[in-house]
Amino acid sequence: MPSASDTRTADTGAAAAHAGRRDPRGVVPTIVKAVALVLLAAAIVAFPSVAANPFILSVGVVIMSYAVLATGWNFMGGFTGYMSLGHAAYAGLGGYSTALLIVKAELNPWVALALGALITAVIAVPVGIASLRVRGASFVIVSIAFVLILLLVFQSWGGFTGGSNGLRIPRPFGPEVLRPEQHERFFYIHAALLAVALLLWWLIDRSRFGIGLKAIREDEDKAQALGVPTFQYKLVAFVLSAFFTALGGGVYALWFGFLDPVFQFSILIGSYMVLMSLLGGIRSLFGPALGALIVGYAVEFFKSEYGDTQFHLVATGLLLGIVVLFMPDGIIPGVTGLLRRFRPQASSIREVTQAELAEQRAGGAHTGTDSSGGDSTGGATRAPDPQVTEGVHP
Amino acid sequence: MSQATAPTPGTAPAGTSPEIGLSTDGLSKAFGGVQAVDGASVAFHHGKVNALIGPNGSGKTTFFNCVTGMIKPDAGSVSYRGSSITRKAPHRIARAGIGRSFQLCRIFPRMTVLENMLAAVRPHPLHLLRSSHDRGDIERARELLTRVGIEHLERVEARDLSYGQQKLLELGGVLMADPETIMLDEPAGGVNPALIDRIAGLVRSLNAEGRTFIVVEHNMDLVMSLSDHVVVFDRGRPICEGPPSVVQNDPRVLEAYLGI
Repeated sequence: MPSASDTRTADTGAAAAHAGRRDPRGVVPTIVKAVALVLLAAAIVAFPSVAANPFILSVGVVIMSYAVLATGWNFMGGFTGYMSLGHAAYAGLGGYSTALLIVKAELNPWVALALGALITAVIAVPVGIASLRVRGASFVIVSIAFVLILLLVFQSWGGFTGGSNGLRIPRPFGPEVLRPEQHERFFYIHAALLAVALLLWWLIDRSRFGIGLKAIREDEDKAQALGVPTFQYKLVAFVLSAFFTALGGGVYALWFGFLDPVFQFSILIGSYMVLMSLLGGIRSLFGPALGALIVGYAVEFFKSEYGDTQFHLVATGLLLGIVVLFMPDGIIPGVTGLLRRFRPQASSIREVTQAELAEQRAGGAHTGTDSSGGDSTGGATRAPDPQVTEGVHP
Repeated sequence: MSQATAPTPGTAPAGTSPEIGLSTDGLSKAFGGVQAVDGASVAFHHGKVNALIGPNGSGKTTFFNCVTGMIKPDAGSVSYRGSSITRKAPHRIARAGIGRSFQLCRIFPRMTVLENMLAAVRPHPLHLLRSSHDRGDIERARELLTRVGIEHLERVEARDLSYGQQKLLELGGVLMADPETIMLDEPAGGVNPALIDRIAGLVRSLNAEGRTFIVVEHNMDLVMSLSDHVVVFDRGRPICEGPPSVVQNDPRVLEAYLGI
């Protein structure tokens, strides 16, 4: 084991150490990110004024709404890996509670919106306690069950919810605000909501709470064995997710002005949230929003081209198939992975020059002896071991 | 030390009476018709390296899982340092000071080595939204990574590590949570001899610093050289316990292992 293999393993170990100082995620420099963010914000602010006609603007509102819903979904799906196919339940509850608070309790629409989302979050607590006891496919089934129950309740309880006849919601802005301007305002309201959701997602992503959630996604038993209160963590993420999804549903209800249980509590809406998030990348901040842009645009395009056929479903299904085949982690990780491939220096930890290697060889021998830590058996156990110091294959 | 005969399970040898940390009383767990753990009463010596050995299928891992709360036992109790931890949630048991590794090494594959370590930090509920990359935490993580010998890989995704490196990372993560008792499920399983030596060295030095170990292991040389106290399991319950030199020659152990 010593001698010959000795130097080789020490070298690759040191090479890894050298590369390790670079951040593997730092493919895109911070300044580029900041510029991109500013451009993105500018594009969103400018969109209503450059939109060719009110129809395009309304498509923009729909896409923004999808982006809010998908980002809301990703508080649960992205952090914990629990794939809820029934998140339409919370969008629908948010919409209906907002609407009913306006219609029945005659509340101010914006107060109704906030209160409606809070009510939905409160409802999500017992639902979460019940459904988060199961994992994987079982959780998916339970999430679907809840949305189907709500569909039946809201259809049957016609006296209160309007049933299958639907529920009309008075416009929050006065009659002097015309349709195009109404679209514009709701575009910005959705955008502001999206910004808040993204900010919170980013905050959690970099936090201690976030690392605990991600540990759950990776290996729940292991996280628990390390002391992460997994159930509590999941519940908080679930309720947050329901809250933002409900806000999205509520704003949509105020904009659209009409709710029908069949569309509010549909598996399809929930599936879209999942599809969008998977498409963009559930581990990425902007993944669900990007997915919403693509899927939302595609759906609206196919609807306007092919009318009421179900072709848009076939097309989105194909899209998901293609992405899962070629970019299983979604578009954002897929593209950053490609970018990384064009920059071998930053990616492959074996990429070092001869000079660097020589330098490390000199330095490596030094660090090898002084870092034996608390090993009571001393140098003997520090014998270079290919298993341990072997380089990593990216 | 002077007690050559194996004492009955659950009772300490008279005279020297070692301090008992973790103990179980009549612990039982059945899977369908299989009684995996069958009324096991075991007492582990605090501050020592305890080994739990036994033939395959003798219930060692199930016993581990019952103790750490991963599986709820059908009957019996577990207590640690004088208080009951029976049927408590795994994270509560972890927070009581018991850390564990898993039989087939478990790490967080899509997180970096450093993030794997930071995931074991237990924040105060009010500090949950603080950055996970806390300066002090990172420093401690690096110290521990250096100690287990994989400090140069901190930014590598854990799934890209070799199996041996993953085992070291798992141990590092357990240490990050700072448990006073560490339960290792086959630390030497599937790793090369040089790494076994390193892991053994780590166990010794950590034990010298006051940490208790309970180790499930099949490598007899390792068990005999490492442990102060050995418990032998067969068919879900301890059949013999004592210092390694005694256990090694016990006819019941030979029978359980060789089926004589």
